[in-house]
Amino acid sequence: MALDHDTLKDLYRKMVTVRLLEKRVEQLVMAARIPCSGHFGLGQEAVGVGVCGPLRKEDYLFGTHRGFAEYIGKGMTPAEILTEYYGKATSLSRGRLGQHLLKPEIGVMPLPSSLGSEFGMAVGAALSSKLRGSGRVTVNLFGEGTAGQSDFGPALEMASLWRLPLIFVCNNNQYVELAHYREVVATEDIAPRAGAYGVPYEIVDGNDITLVYQATERAASRARQGGGPTFLEFKTYRRCTHYTGDPGGYQPKEEIAAWAQKDPIDRCRRLMMAQGLWTAADEQAMLEAVSAEIEAAVQFAEESPYPDVSTIYEHIYA
Amino acid sequence: MSRRITFIQAVREAFQEEMRRDGSIIILGEDVRKGVFATTSKLVDEFGPERVINTPIAESAIVGAAIGAAMTGLRPVVQIMFSDFTYMAMEMIANQAGQWHYISDGVLKTPMVIETPGGARGGAGYGHSQSVEATFIHPPGLKVVAASTPYDAKGLLKSAIRDDNPVLFFEHRRLLTQRGETPQEEYTIPLGRADIKRKGTDVTVVAYSASIPKALIAAERLSQQGIEVEVVDPRTLVPLDKETIFASLQKTYHLVVVEEGRRRGGFGAELAAIAVEEWFDYLDAPVQRLGGLDAPLPYSPVLETACLPSADDIVHAVLRSLGQEV
Repeated sequence: MALDHDTLKDLYRKMVTVRLLEKRVEQLVMAARIPCSGHFGLGQEAVGVGVCGPLRKEDYLFGTHRGFAEYIGKGMTPAEILTEYYGKATSLSRGRLGQHLLKPEIGVMPLPSSLGSEFGMAVGAALSSKLRGSGRVTVNLFGEGTAGQSDFGPALEMASLWRLPLIFVCNNNQYVELAHYREVVATEDIAPRAGAYGVPYEIVDGNDITLVYQATERAASRARQGGGPTFLEFKTYRRCTHYTGDPGGYQPKEEIAAWAQKDPIDRCRRLMMAQGLWTAADEQAMLEAVSAEIEAAVQFAEESPYPDVSTIYEHIYA
Repeated sequence: MSRRITFIQAVREAFQEEMRRDGSIIILGEDVRKGVFATTSKLVDEFGPERVINTPIAESAIVGAAIGAAMTGLRPVVQIMFSDFTYMAMEMIANQAGQWHYISDGVLKTPMVIETPGGARGGAGYGHSQSVEATFIHPPGLKVVAASTPYDAKGLLKSAIRDDNPVLFFEHRRLLTQRGETPQEEYTIPLGRADIKRKGTDVTVVAYSASIPKALIAAERLSQQGIEVEVVDPRTLVPLDKETIFASLQKTYHLVVVEEGRRRGGFGAELAAIAVEEWFDYLDAPVQRLGGLDAPLPYSPVLETACLPSADDIVHAVLRSLGQEV
């Protein structure tokens, strides 16, 4: 089954927004306009965007530090992201979060600095949904390297034991920081580990936005019907370095080139063009609109004031 | 009407009363349904398995789950069976539970309690006996409670459950079976208010948890020598009721601080620093700081006892403070 046309166009636009925004943020980091380093996900945009596609606004997302796919996918705007990255007073956190994007109003939950610290929190959010009968689904998105963290197993165990409305999403982009994942991950696939806890799993092409969307839709539907957790592993590839200060060189050129042929944005565009949904003129108009939105967000963040230092003691306690 | 009940009963009553009052309170932890130290025993009969949840053995993920539940509308209580095991959840407590309210600029709240028995009671060895409260003074955003009586335990736990912040509630295992007067009627004790456990004019002894009974024994002995000790129990280490301690010091001009946690970097170190910074003009003698030895806690009863301050040690510290040779 193909996705309906409006959905596909929306997902496509979001993926393009992610790619252009990441490129722009990289420039701003390198130009020292943004104080943090940037961690990007060139080539893996379909995972975060596709996973958020079938989610409802109120569903919870625990995302990753890499790139903006799930945050744009869940409905955050470039201005919301950029004001946090700049550390400006106009951000949701008034300059406190930095890269740890958050917007509970649309279900974007904490992105902890320590990888994997969200495993327990996601269990708690799902437990909360279940006990309160809210019908909300929780998605916990993480990389294949983070599957090595100590709370990974307990989270699967609790989700399985308590049949929680929780979707584990492993974004397997094949690199754990500077190392190919098979140097530090014992198995090619992560998903079968979920099976050991009685959690059903699927392994899916993470560069096909339609497949990502549909697999997540199946898992969300199961969760909402009381069927408990699902584990999804999306195979993709990170075509950029770990972070802005990483000179790279450890990813074989042929490997990068081969995965560029499977680029999720190109695939989606070809699909839409083949279906007659998209023209070169549509593409041009969209690129201009997205670029304009990003430039307006950059300008807004640049012109926004820094937080007043007098706020520094506010909200230490509730 | 008042009854003499144990610390355990007081804690259980606090849970019962609060869980009846507020349906969003859940308890989760290892064996909380039966209750290894009995503070949560039988709660499952009244509140059901959905609100009293036995978990896998996974302290970090349990606390993580409580944080996620707290951020999304529940008021979880986590029981960590021995307070030594809070270190297994240190990442979740120190880096996550206490910080998200602040870094989200107040958008997120984490109303949760970590109830955790601990301390040396003989026979449990190095990893089931430590008093680790002071560890949690350092990270931001946490509150730290360590009650010394059933009355205080009940009133403070009720406040801790109603608090919108993460609260660590330490119970010393030597105190759990101790009885004390506790009213039948509803009451709470605010966090951050010290209690004078014995009035005196000559030396201020600040102690908490299981050091309170020892301080009271020492005070009784000293009284027979004509030295009147004021025993101040802060009851919560964070927030700390500095006003009550300072008011006592303004009478006595002598300060002794006692804890079972290790001396180095401990509560006494913090209080002594506060005294030197803020109350220097009210110190007639150096602060005397008693605490556990800066060593792992050995198992043998003789060795374990030697690691911890005794009533005799407190007597000696008070005499030293007064410049009287022991």
